[in-house]
Amino acid sequence: MSARKLGRLVGRILLLVAAFSAVFPVFWTLLNAFKNRVDIVTPTPLFIFTPTLDNFAYVLGRESVFAGLINSLIISGASVLIGALLGLPAAYAIARYPNRWSRDVQFFVLSLRFLPPVAIAIPLMVIWLDFGLYDTRLSMIVTYTLLTLATVIWLSVPAFARVPKEVEEAARVDGYGPYAIFFLIALPIALRSLIGAVAFAFVLVWNEFLIALMLTTSDAKTLPIVASELTQLGRDVPWGILNASVVLLSIPPLLFIGVLSGMLNSAFKRKTS
Amino acid sequence: MANIVCSNVDKQYGAVSVIADFNLDVADHEFIVFLGPSGCGKSTLLRMIAGLEDISGGKVAIGGRTVNDLPPRDRGVAMVFQNYALYPHMTIYDNIAFGLKRMKVPKPEIEQRIRAVAATLGLDPYLGRKPTELSGGQQQRVAIARAMIKTPRVFLFDEPLSNLDAKLRNHMRVEIARLHQKLKTTTIYVTHDQLEAMTLADRIVLMKGGAIEQVGTPAEIYDRPRTLFVAGFIGTPNMNFIDVTTEKVDGGWSLRGAGCNIHAAGTRFALTPGQKVVLGFRPADLEIATSADDQANVVAGVADLVEFHGNDALVTFLFAGKEIGALVKASACPKPGDQVAFTIGEESLHLFDQSNGLSLLKA
Repeated sequence: MSARKLGRLVGRILLLVAAFSAVFPVFWTLLNAFKNRVDIVTPTPLFIFTPTLDNFAYVLGRESVFAGLINSLIISGASVLIGALLGLPAAYAIARYPNRWSRDVQFFVLSLRFLPPVAIAIPLMVIWLDFGLYDTRLSMIVTYTLLTLATVIWLSVPAFARVPKEVEEAARVDGYGPYAIFFLIALPIALRSLIGAVAFAFVLVWNEFLIALMLTTSDAKTLPIVASELTQLGRDVPWGILNASVVLLSIPPLLFIGVLSGMLNSAFKRKTS
Repeated sequence: MANIVCSNVDKQYGAVSVIADFNLDVADHEFIVFLGPSGCGKSTLLRMIAGLEDISGGKVAIGGRTVNDLPPRDRGVAMVFQNYALYPHMTIYDNIAFGLKRMKVPKPEIEQRIRAVAATLGLDPYLGRKPTELSGGQQQRVAIARAMIKTPRVFLFDEPLSNLDAKLRNHMRVEIARLHQKLKTTTIYVTHDQLEAMTLADRIVLMKGGAIEQVGTPAEIYDRPRTLFVAGFIGTPNMNFIDVTTEKVDGGWSLRGAGCNIHAAGTRFALTPGQKVVLGFRPADLEIATSADDQANVVAGVADLVEFHGNDALVTFLFAGKEIGALVKASACPKPGDQVAFTIGEESLHLFDQSNGLSLLKA
């Protein structure tokens, strides 16, 4: 066997190991979500078993889970929406109309994310308590908007900067003003990268745990908090329920990204056909 | 249709002056070419006329109306960009229609105008496609269609052919020339390609370092270059230059340099004795010397390099310490190492003042 073939084989094996270590836990979680407790705690891993929907039924049957889902959807959705509505025009302005403030603006926005969440969670908690908004969706939306705004702006500036300047100038000569150029030219051309930025922002706040833990106690609890509480059900760890809640928790972001990339595909299909 | 008047136009970026005191009158229907090396300010000037760049000082008027503070859309201009600048997310049809939509032209009329323009430029089969599905030449034709359809008062071209390969460039050049013949729209065309400039222009504006070197018809610029820079920039192969000193002799002037002594009547030039001048002559103006010629006026040397051009060949040899090029018929072409000798006709001499590079031709 030549050295090159051997190298390729080793490379493949490494890749397989890496892929396995990434995919198998997800697969195992999915499998365990459909198992009875007995099948999970057995010392020999079981691949063939009688599936049950009890875990899902239990998770979905709990009012706290449903409330958490609604909270998560509203809080993540609203903060991403506001982050995109404010962040995309801001990013475009920074990319296309730079002035002496734009660097500072960019830095300030990033600085919102400098401190570890635990360090900003406590002051935020005090602020919201003082306003009487502690443990409300509104306070969570405002807090999360700081996160989504920073992410959207930082990921969108390069996306807008990549839009060829001449194309925008051609639109100017064609008679369009800056706002029309933003909506009709820059936004559609940069769409692909922008959707990535927005999706990333969504996943970030959807999975956010620490700030939510500090800023909510009951009314505005998000799904990750509710899911974590499921471990405190008793002395025995309810593995099946945990796995089922993890699976349920992963579905919305997957759907969100799926819908977005579907939109992308349809938007760009005509180009390649 | 409209004329364009630039008076005392300046452009500064901060403290850096890019264009200083630029003056030009472009007549209605005229095809003007801004020609010059990279960074000479020709594109900046075009963009200032288009309204894409602020005018730091002076005045630009289109059709008798000062446009300094007008946005591009109110200037009645259409522009074709070097990299086409088509809207990548729109079909060719929408690309061409985009400007008309802004002008609130009714849909049936847009349709009808696009059909007409597409027929002129041979774009009919592509109207439903996206720009990336088209070749460079087709894309540039779309860009021209997009400019044409607005029936602008002024066409602005910013190096429109420099992204195309040589063959396509020739083809598109002819198309642009035809288009101008048909539409007669006042046109300003920026290029660094002298062939484009020579073939397309009614008048060439030759620029260097943000200032005009010479304005004139292609023939004027070729035959009577006003400065050393113009003489060196225009013409392929390049003009030959030799540094000489003038000396008054019987029946004219002697132009003496290291290893060279050319005799000239010099009546066309304003010369003073002992003046340091640059003698210029084009490779195509050299003629193979015969024994009957005045040996004093012969430029001779050992052929060093022979480049075959098809009909002609360019012979390079060392004379008076300079590399001299001579264009000869390919059939009479010497081999490297051969002794070659050429004469220069009095009428094809160019003389420039060494101190300021200005032509010494009498006005």
